[in-house]
Amino acid sequence: MTLFSQIIQYTISGITSGSIYAVIGICWSVVYLITKVLNFTTGEFVMLGGMLTWGFRIAGFGLVPSILFAVACTILISMILERIAIRPVRYPSEMTYMMITIAGASVIKGLVLLAWGSETRTIEAFFGTEVIHLSGATITSQVLCVFGLLVIVTIGLSLFLNRTLFGKALRASAVNLTGASLMGIDISRFRLFCFGLAGGLGAITGIVITPITFTGYEVGMLTGLKGLVAAIVGGWTMTGTMVAALVLGLLEGFGAGFISAGLKDVFALLVMIIFLIVRTMNFASGAGRGSP
Amino acid sequence: MNSAPKQKLIWLVLIAVIIAIPLVAGSYVVGVMCFIAIFGGLAVSMGLLLEQAGMFSLAHPTWFGLGGYVSGILAIRGIAPPWLGSIIGVVFVGLISYAIGAPLLRLRGYYLACATFGLLLIVEISLAQLGSLTGGHEGLIGVPPLSIGGFVLETDVHYYYLSWALCLACLWFLYNLMGSRMGRAIKSFSDSEVAAKSMGINVPGYKLKVFILTAVMASLTGSVYTFYLRFTQPGIFGFPLLVQLMTMVIIGGGKTIYGPLLGGFVVIWLKELIHMYLGEVLPRMSAQVDALFFGVLIIVILIFMPGGLSGWMDRLLYLGRRTLGKTSG
Repeated sequence: MTLFSQIIQYTISGITSGSIYAVIGICWSVVYLITKVLNFTTGEFVMLGGMLTWGFRIAGFGLVPSILFAVACTILISMILERIAIRPVRYPSEMTYMMITIAGASVIKGLVLLAWGSETRTIEAFFGTEVIHLSGATITSQVLCVFGLLVIVTIGLSLFLNRTLFGKALRASAVNLTGASLMGIDISRFRLFCFGLAGGLGAITGIVITPITFTGYEVGMLTGLKGLVAAIVGGWTMTGTMVAALVLGLLEGFGAGFISAGLKDVFALLVMIIFLIVRTMNFASGAGRGSP
Repeated sequence: MNSAPKQKLIWLVLIAVIIAIPLVAGSYVVGVMCFIAIFGGLAVSMGLLLEQAGMFSLAHPTWFGLGGYVSGILAIRGIAPPWLGSIIGVVFVGLISYAIGAPLLRLRGYYLACATFGLLLIVEISLAQLGSLTGGHEGLIGVPPLSIGGFVLETDVHYYYLSWALCLACLWFLYNLMGSRMGRAIKSFSDSEVAAKSMGINVPGYKLKVFILTAVMASLTGSVYTFYLRFTQPGIFGFPLLVQLMTMVIIGGGKTIYGPLLGGFVVIWLKELIHMYLGEVLPRMSAQVDALFFGVLIIVILIFMPGGLSGWMDRLLYLGRRTLGKTSG
């Protein structure tokens, strides 16, 4: 394999994981912007999507019904979590919300482990296993599905948020929750909807990547965290999240290829920590001292 | 007026009970109580950081693990005897937590939590990957037992007394700390940073001090744990330990200093009971599944009993005193 084809291969895998992180990042920001809850169960929804589809496939359903059932179940679980664990909290603070979602994540993880064990699982690729050759590098049809998912999610969400009344109301409540509720927007219904949306998107992402990366009870936490990194670095906006996620994916692809495959998960987390520290530094005042 | 003698009495009773337990109970109880001392002590320092100082750092298990790793590696390679290795581990963790805490503690709320959570995972993954030094996923195997002079600590009872001495020393130290000028400063900035700053309290300085102090305590506990188990591995101090410690802090109630220790008592015995009775019913029962029960406990307690056990007990005492006062007066 020449260096050129290696670079193309790493770019492809980077963009693939970048697309995944972009969609997951959107899941985090949808919930965070409306409810101010940093939902640590997002990664577990990704895992649940893949595992539930596998479960329904084993139970004898076809691929399409299994996918639909899995997405529906995840949406339901996400909404139940919001209704029974997050809404009844008496003294809501960032710390309480975070502890509850971390606890929720470990409950989901534990249940999946109890039900299906710790083996990795996979489902078959959607459109067969043909590959496209591109100057020494290969693209599977499943990778194209991942790109397609990102495009569909982006276009669909931006149409929904900008063109429909419900979407506009959602954006309004992200800007100012009190103001939106004074205008007659039902905030508690919106919170439920946001959790459902995040669960559904997460589950679809999990299903689409399962044929490529496999799934198991423990994949959720790290995958979800990388989406969070993209959302934080992208400033919780959709465009920013996508750009950050793609850069992150490329960094990871090349890091895994040229430095170490075992340490590839560390890169994204390091990026997050460095970004958060740099963000707190006040460059403006330092520059202002020198300039007139 | 009589609070100081009363506190002394409580301490004496506690110490007497702890000394008496190995004389009465069997080795199983002693082993479990040893775990309670180690994890309860760890939870006490984490509770101070989380609830009293209001710094939501999730990297606490990391310091526990790093302390154990440093002293374990030094002891296996024969570079330093275990007791010296523990001290070197403390110094190492203190320096690292200073280097990391100084830039990181400028963050607060969600962002501090995210960054420290990232740190927790980075250290866990790196230790698993650095195979030649740390033994990779299998971890350090064959750590020698703790020995001071010619005296070797081998049995559960030895480690029982050592870990309870450490745990009670931490507890006593933190009680004195929180009653001092520094403790009042810590409480003040957890309520409102702006108000504390305007009173002339050096908030970043105190934050860093508390962070390093709790990290050092966790490191010492981690060393004792490593020498007790005679091995350590990256999986010990990852996400499951974080959830377990959070459960202890929440069940016990972090607004009091003894709360997390009480939580540790409840959680560890609960874990033993679950393993004893559910082990036959659920075939895939393992340490990972414990997190499932802890998760449910965290959610239930945060919703129905936000103050935890100690908050509930304080409330009960207050109500009792009030009703008694009414009947007598």
